Parts: sequence; C-alpha cells; structure tokens
Amino acid sequence: MLDWLESISIAVWLRESPSIWANPTVLTLHTTGMGVLVGASWLLDLRLLGVGRTTPLPAFRWVFTAVALGLMLNLVTGVLLFLKNATTWGTAIPFLIKMSLVVASAATLIPIRTYVMNSGDSQVEVNGTTRLLAMVSIVCWTGAVTAGRLLAYLVP
Amino acid sequence: MDSLFVLNAAHLHLLLNHVPTLGAVGGLSLLVLAFIRRHDGLQQAGLEVLFVVALLTLPVYVTGVAAYKKLPMGPEVTDVAIRAHQDAALSGFTVAELAGFIAWFALWQARRRGRSSPALVGAATVLSILALAIMARAATLGGEIHHSEIRAAGAVTAAMNPQAFVAAQISHFMVYSRWAWPLAETVHFLGLSLSFGVLLAVNLRILGVMRQVPFAELHAWLPWGMLGFGANLITGMVFFVGQPGQYVESAPFHWKIVFLMLAGANFLYLTVFKKAWATDGLEAPFADKAMAVGSMLSWLAVLYAGRMLPFIGDAF
Repeated sequence: MLDWLESISIAVWLRESPSIWANPTVLTLHTTGMGVLVGASWLLDLRLLGVGRTTPLPAFRWVFTAVALGLMLNLVTGVLLFLKNATTWGTAIPFLIKMSLVVASAATLIPIRTYVMNSGDSQVEVNGTTRLLAMVSIVCWTGAVTAGRLLAYLVP
Repeated sequence: MDSLFVLNAAHLHLLLNHVPTLGAVGGLSLLVLAFIRRHDGLQQAGLEVLFVVALLTLPVYVTGVAAYKKLPMGPEVTDVAIRAHQDAALSGFTVAELAGFIAWFALWQARRRGRSSPALVGAATVLSILALAIMARAATLGGEIHHSEIRAAGAVTAAMNPQAFVAAQISHFMVYSRWAWPLAETVHFLGLSLSFGVLLAVNLRILGVMRQVPFAELHAWLPWGMLGFGANLITGMVFFVGQPGQYVESAPFHWKIVFLMLAGANFLYLTVFKKAWATDGLEAPFADKAMAVGSMLSWLAVLYAGRMLPFIGDAF
C-alpha cells in the first residue's frame, strides 16, 4: 500500500523533479499554512487564557476562517509531502506523533469554535472548560510543529 | 533569483559599518537632549533611532562575513586579525540588538501610556553606550585588518589560536552537536508562527476586520509578535554564525535580509503611528491599508526566501 502510494506519478514527480515548483514550493506552502494556522490558533488560545481580556470574544471569529484556510492548504500540501515519502514516513514514530497532535489540536478547535461563535456581543469572560481546551490546543500545536520540524532530521 | 551583493559585499560592508557607531551617537545625542530639555518628542525620536540602528546592524554583520570570504589572506591581512574584529562585532551586535529591543519596548509603552518608563529609557541608553564602546573597538580592529601601519603593537598577535574565538566556538557547537541545529530550527518555526499570528490580527484590523475593536487592544499584542521575532533573530543568528559560508553568497538569504529590514520598519510604524488610533470604528486611510498589505507581503517574502534557502542555492 505504502509502496503503491509512493509510486504514483505525482509522488515520483515531487521526489525526483529538480523543478522549483515541485518539492520546494509544496514545502514552502506547507510552512506558510503552518504560520497562518498555528499563529491564528495560538492568538485565540492566548486570548481565551486571559491575554488581552478586555476584547470581547466575537472579535476573534475571523480566526476560524484563517485556521480553516491554513488547515486546507496544509491538508493538500501535507498529503503531497506524505506521498513523496510514504514508505519511510508511514511507519515512522515522529510522523505518527505529529499526525496525532495535529488531529488533537484541530479537534479542540471544534468546541472552542462553538463557544466563541455563541458568545455574547460584549462577552469577555471565558469558562473553565474552554480555558482548558485552549491550553491543550497551545501544547498540541507546539508539539505538532516540533515533531514536524524534527521529522526532517529523524526520518531521512 | 539574482543576487544582490555577491560582488560588492565588501563595499556594502564598508558603507554600512558606520551605522552602528554613528547611528548610536545620533540616537544617544537625541536622548541626552531630551533629558536636558525634558522633551518627550525628542526622547521618542532617540528611541526610534536606536531601534533603526539595531535593525541595520544585522546587514552590517552579515556583509562583514561576506567581505571576509573575499579577502585574500597574506602577511598583511591575517585570519586572526579578522577573527578578532568579528568577535568584537558579534558582541557589539548582541548588545546593540538588546538596546534596540528595549528601545522598542519603551516606544510601545509611550504609545499606550503617553510616556515611557524612565527605567526602560535608562536601560536603552546604558546598553547603547556599551554597544557603542564595543562597536568602536570592533571598528578599530576592522580598520587594522588592512592597515598594518596603524596596528597597536601586540594588540592582536598571530599566535592566538583561531579556534579560541567566540564565533568559532559557536560554529563548532552548531555543527558538531547532534541536537543544536534541529532544536534551533524548531524554535525558529515556532517563533515564525507566533509572529505571523500577531501580525495577521493587527493587519487584518487595519484592513477592516474586527473594526469594532479599539486599535489599542490590537496594539497590546505587539510584544507577543516581538517575542516571536526575538526568538527568530537569536536562532537565525545562531545558524548564520554556525555556518556563515553557506549564506553569504546565497541569493535568497540576501533577499531575506532586505525584506526583514522592510518588515522591521513596518513593525516600528505599527508600534508608534497615530493614524490608526484616530480611526477607531472608521475605515482606515488607503495609505494604512497599503502598509498593512505591504507588511503581510514582506513577512511572506521573508518566509519564502528562508524556506527556499536549501533549494535556491544550497544553504540548509
């Protein structure tokens, strides 16, 4: 299965093409998506944990649009990067850890989104569950970025 | 991507190398005048100059290494003389950055409260004087590289071990430690994300998203952006000092420095400008919107050039 994924034409092109539009561009887009996704998500998490607590929660609704765009970009570019290395990454522990952390942090965003979207126009206070979710989100994104970056060194 | 200063890095270094010393003298003069005349506007200008000097000290250091690679060694120009200059420059750079950071924080505070705390202004002043003293020594050692006739007897002896210099030790550590480089890369990516998040929020506010939020509340986030930027300046410098050879002739690296200067100038603008504060609840003027778009594009360009280092050129 992993062998087959690695042999499909786009995976071969990404792995072997010297073109700037192959691996380099996909990797750069993946990093850009990370900056938007993790940056916007952290910003909201920090707000939920009490930074800038005078700003009402509905002001942060745009964060979910930014996160969704970043997540989509990184889903597409991430799948491409995975195809390129399917046989080595498919069984590599750091990769599996990264995926679990990405899924975990993305999952915390669902209840956080419901909470923020339903908050009152001038609501500034945050309940305990949401603060806990924000904490989990910060930790998981940090772990996901770390695992992703170390993947390049641990799994050749 | 064509390179910007491969051929004239040495010239650029000789041109820019006056900025850290003369710039610090300018900034400090303004601060002294501000103190004597009790003038907040002068104080602000002095702090702004110190921030800009800190920003421009980065290309001074970087072009210095590029110039080093171009110099033919011989009995007149010795490796040890250059390394002594480089070490002094690295210390001066570090103190100048610290002074610039504190100056920035004082400016941020002044924008919010009307004035900066005297402790911060004092700290920025003292650090700038220290940076100036170290930079003056770096300048002396730099001048002596090519002018053996003015070399103070025994100031730099050829007997010194080239591996004893700080820059050489950092480089050794970065290259031979198994974890140093990967961990610095990780911090670099985390810092990037933090800066991106904050700048996205502030620039989107200028473009009209969350218009109901007073600009002061977005401005309060800027130190978080600075935290990410600081982490990336430190890790970035560690890469550069670690493996300078791979960056000095790399076109994307040169572009990265250029866009960093633009992004840094924009960050100063975001910190001190008054217009957006006056437009709470209203449409921002076109110039500010253009500036916000320019800010995001500059950061994207910094990221693009940085991520492309291994592919356009061969830095990692």
